[in-house]
Amino acid sequence: MKFIKANMSKKTIGVEDVPQEYAGLGGRGLTSIMINEEVPPKCDPLGPDNKLIIAPGLLSGTPLPNTSRISIGAKSPLTGTIKESNAGGTVSAALGRLGITALVIEGQAPEGELSTLRIDKTGNASLIPAQDYKGMRTYKFVEKMLEVYGKKTSVLCIGPAGEYRLTAASIQSSDMDGRPCRAAGRGGLGAVMGATGLKAVVVDQGGKSADAIVDPKAFKEAAKTLTKAVKEHPEPGHLMPTLGTAALVAPLNSMGAFPCYNARKGVMDGWEQISGEAMAELIQKRGGKTTHMGCAQCIIHCSNEFVDKEGKYVTGALEYETIWAMGGMTGIADLDAIARLDFLCDDIGVDTMSTGVAVAVAMDAGYKEFGDGAAAIEMVEEIATGTEFGKILGNGPAAIGRHFNHSRVPMVKGQGIAGYDPRAMLGNGVTFATSPMGADHTAGNVIGLCLQGKLDPLQAEGVVEISRNLQIAIAAFDCTGHCFMATVAAFDPEPGEAFRKVLGAKLGTHLGPEDFPGAMGVRVLKAEREFNRKAGFTNQDDRLPKFFYEEPLPPHNTVFAISDEELDSTFDF
Amino acid sequence: MRITAKLYGTLSHRFPGYQHARGIEVEIPDGATVKDLLALLEISESKGAVVAMEGRILKGDDTIRRGVPVHVFNAIHGG
Repeated sequence: MKFIKANMSKKTIGVEDVPQEYAGLGGRGLTSIMINEEVPPKCDPLGPDNKLIIAPGLLSGTPLPNTSRISIGAKSPLTGTIKESNAGGTVSAALGRLGITALVIEGQAPEGELSTLRIDKTGNASLIPAQDYKGMRTYKFVEKMLEVYGKKTSVLCIGPAGEYRLTAASIQSSDMDGRPCRAAGRGGLGAVMGATGLKAVVVDQGGKSADAIVDPKAFKEAAKTLTKAVKEHPEPGHLMPTLGTAALVAPLNSMGAFPCYNARKGVMDGWEQISGEAMAELIQKRGGKTTHMGCAQCIIHCSNEFVDKEGKYVTGALEYETIWAMGGMTGIADLDAIARLDFLCDDIGVDTMSTGVAVAVAMDAGYKEFGDGAAAIEMVEEIATGTEFGKILGNGPAAIGRHFNHSRVPMVKGQGIAGYDPRAMLGNGVTFATSPMGADHTAGNVIGLCLQGKLDPLQAEGVVEISRNLQIAIAAFDCTGHCFMATVAAFDPEPGEAFRKVLGAKLGTHLGPEDFPGAMGVRVLKAEREFNRKAGFTNQDDRLPKFFYEEPLPPHNTVFAISDEELDSTFDF
Repeated sequence: MRITAKLYGTLSHRFPGYQHARGIEVEIPDGATVKDLLALLEISESKGAVVAMEGRILKGDDTIRRGVPVHVFNAIHGG
């Protein structure tokens, strides 16, 4: 249980025990509560007063499968709010096995100076000059790191976009094969990392000093129950290893809730060409991998390897949100173009979602035609070459909207929406509007309830409460490092209880439903809301863009019909 | 009546040679419900199957209508 603090101004490393006030916290809970305590809310997110906090979950580094989600937090340069973005890969488990509760990156290196933070298998940390890697894209950079430090190395890094401090820049996370195809994409945290002068965190995977599990016997027993539930559940056990999250393309289009052509329609022409089923068929035909283990200790294998006509690797982990943003929003019904765009975003280090939405806004403004894959690829390439347009695009949808003086920008607090139109799935509209993170589907997604027949997606009544409860639950699970795909199984009563027992056994405490997800989720959300209030955000910021209230979405021809008063009651605690 | 059902996710695996472009043709009685259709396709509720028609998610007792394509897919909680 220790913090490693890297001061980028002084080039010093400090190691300290976790202070009592942060005890029992991990992942998003730790990043958000620390930021609320320690970062001046009105500071420049790209200035020296911001902090970048990298925290494995409470269960990362334990033997429980599917616990390698890393939480990264800071004040966001994209939204101006508090931000936590989490990613898969291998680094969370690697840090957990070293007993590291968080890496805290503070201060700023002199302009132009670049370093990596290296952590060896004994947990010893050092800052190493990285001038030679300046401007390097992420795939090549990770390859170099693996050459230097060996294959059992986890890398979190930025690409050119982060070095340019562009506000849609991501932090890329290496997968089991050492490819940086996982991303903490949302909120521009890559720009925060770039502003500190840090190119990467490079961690040895051979750590053997994980924090002790307080009750190993109870842990093992409950972990067995939970693991069995994950394996047997139709979603993580069967659907995810077959199609991954790309399985969502069919239901969203079948429901008329797939925002496409910059959210002008709810069903995309030719969506079957970019569905999860079409992707799996194409990958199989070409000899790629439709299922793949992307993250440490994963038993679900929802990832994939998309290959070209010659069978050569194009990109990894091509997922629903990217297919939607780069295909649906842009009207590009071509998986090869979408896969190329996914690779480019990972390699340059920008969020596929914000970038896809930004490309769509530019197309909607008449800059290029919807459906023009070659034009989209050229636009995204410009981010890396650093042209004026590339820098605007790399700053996300709001910047593009301002550039073209175009008001149809589907975003909240500056962050592009996800692939669920708020007019055809009102519950996700509530989550987009009220999440402390800006528009964010992972904060509380109602799609599962809609597909289970428990919620009519067009229904307004009761959705505020549903969004609230989901946001509380997700805020709590985000503290644990547990992958959402596996968490789905823990929504059922018995595995849910097993999850509480696992967590309780790790921490040495008894947890009831009022403690987890209840109290833990509320505590996290309160801290995040408090930070945003102090930063100057009010209820008026918890709104969707005007066009969602006024412009009916075909085919249902409905608008977002939740009143401001109802939205303001979302967080009634 | 004959209807066309399109099967997504893991649901088409039981039908060798299934092609997404065509879907599967099923003969059902007039007035058949979603439950009847799933029973005919031998898709158990435990698989979390969802049926949609004309942009709406149907409930078990809803009636399948003539001439309207039906989409059947797995429940999924997010991406």
